[in-house]
Parts: sequence; structure tokens; C-alpha cells
Amino acid sequence: MERNEAIEILAEGRGDAVSVVTMQSVHPWHQAGQGEIFHVDASQCMGSASSIGLGLAVARPDKKVMVLDGDGSLLMQLGSLVTIAGQSPANLYHFVFANGLHQSTGNQPLPAIGQFDWVALAKGAGYADALRIEAAEDLLERLPGIFAMTGPVLIELTIEREDREPLWAGVPMAKQTALLREQLAASS
Amino acid sequence: MTEAKPVAVGVEASAIVSELRALGIDHVICIPDSYQKTLIAALRDDPSIRFITACTEDEAMGINAGLYMGGKNPMLVIQNNGIFASINTIKAIPLDARIPTFIFVGQYQRDPMVPMEESRSRAVRMVEPTLDVWGVPHWRLEGPDEIGNIRAAYERAQETMGPAALIVGAPTL
Repeated sequence: MERNEAIEILAEGRGDAVSVVTMQSVHPWHQAGQGEIFHVDASQCMGSASSIGLGLAVARPDKKVMVLDGDGSLLMQLGSLVTIAGQSPANLYHFVFANGLHQSTGNQPLPAIGQFDWVALAKGAGYADALRIEAAEDLLERLPGIFAMTGPVLIELTIEREDREPLWAGVPMAKQTALLREQLAASS
Repeated sequence: MTEAKPVAVGVEASAIVSELRALGIDHVICIPDSYQKTLIAALRDDPSIRFITACTEDEAMGINAGLYMGGKNPMLVIQNNGIFASINTIKAIPLDARIPTFIFVGQYQRDPMVPMEESRSRAVRMVEPTLDVWGVPHWRLEGPDEIGNIRAAYERAQETMGPAALIVGAPTL
């Protein structure tokens, strides 16, 4: 599926979930109108989205937390899969946009493309479940069921290569973190 | 002949935990450290604290940020090498994203008989200069009379909405 197709479906199905988004999903997430409420970008800290999501999920077990990660990003802090599994956050939904590329640096390939398996890695790390979705229509159909699952769940999304310049939302993370903290405090 | 006195002596873990309780710490994110072994054991057993073991210091900074945004009052327990390992994340999360990040840093491999600046260990010698380069304020805990530095570091992290470190200079007791 295309990244923007996945973004539109996730935005539509998000409900009031808290979102943590990183790298090349940041700009389209904001373009889809998702950047103002219960949201933070993991900016300038490639690999940290899953850990930020874990902290939010532990702090607020009453809220669903969705992480929109990249495959290259997650490889940078792969141990976070084990850390997350160790805390067993039932409310954490970890979407991995898997295109096999470091798109932000010009579509440079990840190591061992085609040899590693996100579903196996997540299950091996101890996630409650993991699945792979390749087509947008399947994501649309299965998303409500995914959000009904007990986390942590990793959902690998097979994303097509995009040949465009990297895009960023340009919103300072400091502003977002302060706003999110306020919004979460008000929603308890 | 006078017996040489140590530069740093350990502080009782129970005294440190009491101080952390008084500060309202509710979550500890830890990367194991031999210098803080007794403290880590005490924190792990404390029912008022959720203890989270992470794989790397990068992860710990991210978890701390998420907990803070979710309204919690967390801290990190790591060792000196963890500062060097996580500089990019210190830059991005505690500093740029303005997240209060209160960090205990154990001086792994430090000989308490020798001042930190004169240590044979590069990690021991370089941790404070590294924090200085990045503008991370730090205090030392080198004996029971310095326990007030725990509060000082915590309060600085909250006031500046950034990182602040407590350098644990001798193994906790």
C-alpha cells in the first residue's frame, strides 16, 4: 500500500488514541489533521517513537496509544521491542511502516532486506501479537479488530517506495510535548 | 602512618529511597549499574514505585518523556557509559523537547580513593566534562552529607524542563 493510504485509514480509525509518529509519516499525519490533539512527533530522535509510546501507554492505561514507526527507525532501537514486551502494555499498538528503506536520507536500503521478519521479531520479543498487512483494503477492514486486541501488538504495514524529497511538519517537539501533557491532564 | 581516606563513601540505599519518595518519584527507568546495585534492588522492591528495566539509555530517555507527558514523575538510573551512549537522545528529548529528565549516573569503575578527575578510567574522568559540553547541570553524591544534592538535581530538572544529573561517586550501601 502507499504511505498516504495507510495514513488516511489510521487517521479515520484512530478515535481518541494518543499518537506518536516519526520520520516520513510525520508530515502526512499532520496533513491528515492529526497533529493537534493527543499527539507528539518523535523528532530528531530516530528510533525513540516506540519508547515514547511505551511511556505514554504505562502512564495512561485508560488511553489507547498508537505508534507510527518506521522500519529503519525501529531497527535503531530494536531492543525496545523487548522492553515493551517486559511491561506488557495492553493499550499499545505499534504500526511499523516497512518500506525497507531509509526514506529520509534518500531511500538508502536497510540492511538484510528480505531476510528479517517484523512479525517474527515482535512475537519473539514477547509482544502479545503481531501481524502483517500488505493491502490498504485489508488495513481498512481489520483496523477496528486490531484496536480491540490486547496489546502490545505490532502491525507491519508493507509500504511502497516513494520517490520524493523528505517532508517534515516543522512543529517543535517541545511545543507538542507541553500541549499533549496539558491535554492528557485535562482528559483524566 | 596515617591511613588514606576515601574521596567518596557510599550512601545507604534506604536514605536515597526516602529522599526519592519525598520528591514523589513514581517511576524508575533503569539500565543496570553495579555502582547502584543496592539502590536498584531497593527501588525494584518499593511498592510505591513502578520499576522499568530498559535495554538502552536511549530507550530510557524516551520512556521518561512518555511518562512525563502522561502526568507521571519519573527518573532514570544509569551508569556513566550510558551518558556517552545516549548523547543524541539527550540532545533531542531532554534538551530540545524540554522534558524534565532526572538522572542518577553511577561512576562505574571509579576508585573511591581517587578524585574523579584523576581516575584511571576515561569514562569516570569524562562524564562530567561531557555533561558540561552539553549544558547538562550535575551534582555529586560522594557521601551521606551530600544527600541534599538529590533534591537539588531533581528541582533543577523540573525548573528548567531539561536534564539534570546526580553523579553517584561511590557504590551505594
